[in-house]
Amino acid sequence: MKMWRRAPKPDMSRPGELLPPEGVPIHLGIAGVGVRMGAQIVDLLLTLGAAIALLILLGSLDLTTASTWGAIAAMLFFFTRIPYYVLSEILWNGQTLGKRLMKIKVVSNDGASLTIHALVVRNLMKEAEVFLPGTLLLTLSAGDPIYTLIALAWIFGTLLVPLCNKRRRRLGDLIAGTYVIHLPQPVLLADVATYAAPKTGKPEDFTFLSHHLDHYGAFELQTLEDLLRAQKTGLPYETSKTYSDTLAKVVDNIRRRIDYADKVTPDQHVRFLQAFYNAQRAYLEQRQLFGERRSDKHFDAATDASETDSTA
Amino acid sequence: MEAKEYIRSARFREEREADWKRLEALVQEAESKGVTGLSFMQARDLAALYRQATTSLAIAREISLDKALLAYLEALTARAYLSVYAPQERLGGVLTKFLTQGAPQAMRRSWAFILLGFLCMGLGALSGYLLFFDDAAWYHVFMPEGLAGGRGPGSTTEFLRGVIYDDDPDARGLGAFATFLFSHNTRIAIFVFGLGVFLCVPAIALIFYNGLMFGAFVALHVDRGLGWDIAGWLSIHGVTELSAICVACGAGLQLGFAVLFPGQRTRARALKEAGRDATKLALVAALMLVAAALLEGFGRQLVQDMNTRLLIGWGVGALWVAWFMLGGRGRS
Repeated sequence: MKMWRRAPKPDMSRPGELLPPEGVPIHLGIAGVGVRMGAQIVDLLLTLGAAIALLILLGSLDLTTASTWGAIAAMLFFFTRIPYYVLSEILWNGQTLGKRLMKIKVVSNDGASLTIHALVVRNLMKEAEVFLPGTLLLTLSAGDPIYTLIALAWIFGTLLVPLCNKRRRRLGDLIAGTYVIHLPQPVLLADVATYAAPKTGKPEDFTFLSHHLDHYGAFELQTLEDLLRAQKTGLPYETSKTYSDTLAKVVDNIRRRIDYADKVTPDQHVRFLQAFYNAQRAYLEQRQLFGERRSDKHFDAATDASETDSTA
Repeated sequence: MEAKEYIRSARFREEREADWKRLEALVQEAESKGVTGLSFMQARDLAALYRQATTSLAIAREISLDKALLAYLEALTARAYLSVYAPQERLGGVLTKFLTQGAPQAMRRSWAFILLGFLCMGLGALSGYLLFFDDAAWYHVFMPEGLAGGRGPGSTTEFLRGVIYDDDPDARGLGAFATFLFSHNTRIAIFVFGLGVFLCVPAIALIFYNGLMFGAFVALHVDRGLGWDIAGWLSIHGVTELSAICVACGAGLQLGFAVLFPGQRTRARALKEAGRDATKLALVAALMLVAAALLEGFGRQLVQDMNTRLLIGWGVGALWVAWFMLGGRGRS
């Protein structure tokens, strides 16, 4: 428990940091290879469908001879997919239909808006990365094992590139200076600190003194926030006995850790935690204003190495 | 209730929540209709509220420990950022700008690389031409069997003339257009562009070899006294097509040069900067290849007269040159 929480690497965990011109960094989730592959397949099916529709139209007009069908099909596919990718990403600000479906989006590396140049480059590189070796692979006969191997190695190599960097950028992204993110969904939950306390006849006031509040940091506070939020968001275990068991255990732990002497009866558990959350948050936020950030309960371990967390 | 009275961050949130909600609604509207679909007041509010939300996020990171609030502000600011900083160009504008300014200016800026491409191919053609007259057997060394279409030192003059003037009806119209587009020379254009990054050498070798084939092919026809006829046959699309290959080669060489001689910049940066013009050159080359395919697919079959062929071919060539030389000159 202690080991894996105490060794966070702050820079490694946030590769999606983007700095807008306003100067306040935003942290975005990097879209993984799987999601992007899914979007790619949707786009591929769409453009292929459009190309086939055009091909059937041409076929009904009887313009060509049978010997050139293959070349015409390849040409139509080419001429539907190139404009599709570039134009849709320009029109929808870095999203194709597949990307819209998967709720992912292309953003610029440097925090400025996407340029036409970047979008053209990243989509032209897609030709060189995927489609060129792909068509090579399809058109080659089995009698040409060397070229088949080269095409396979090419595809494999370009697929490997996104796995080798933290932002999952493919070759086109690297050259164009872009990467792909998950579109964040803003959902404003109610403030736990303003949850109405259950109405009982007399107001029970739990008072916490500063020596009670010197034991925990932001991590524990936010874990408690999640726990309290669970009673409102209607998780499946909310009504079950597990939830009240958890509450009891948490109350027990907190009381032991902060040396809280007064008894807390089971029906007071939620109110106790609520009151403790409010007091702890006000206290920690005040410390933070004065320049002392407590990220978790080990905040003083650096200054006082002799202390162990046996009380946890 | 009392909590608000003493938790500063709860108060902070309550004072600004209405603005955030308003921004959220505006962002949603901007995302569905585009920023251009917003009214003036809405657009103004979007920008103002976005900056306000950015400030709120910065403050909340300092004073608040409410995880839900931080996550919400982060997501809201990101969404607002993405709609405020969306590219505002119109498609028509982008195309017009590329055709009237971007492309010809890029061509003029990289004239040296394109000239280098032409030189490499010209040298190859000259060598192929001279080598053929030295010994006709060189023809088989340069020319792959599939590309020659049965034409070689062994075939009769009548056969060669027949290919030039009386093409089989299968190879015309859309079919020929498509076949041509995926033909040998398009692949060469793609490869000389792509291979340029690898320190220029493969691109130069490839375009030189292409020149060799071309030279030997011309020499074969000159040898039989069909010099002007083959010139006409090749000119009608070849002027455009071979120029496209040279332009693609120039773009590739530009990338290779950036890798070889980055100067004070890092190689990645030099490559990125060279990529701006190289991409435009590649697009120009693609445009030229499509035009060449049109000429090949329709023009060559319809026009059988040698002089007309020469005229069309070089006329189109002159049009390209005019575009590159005159396009995008400022009116300063």
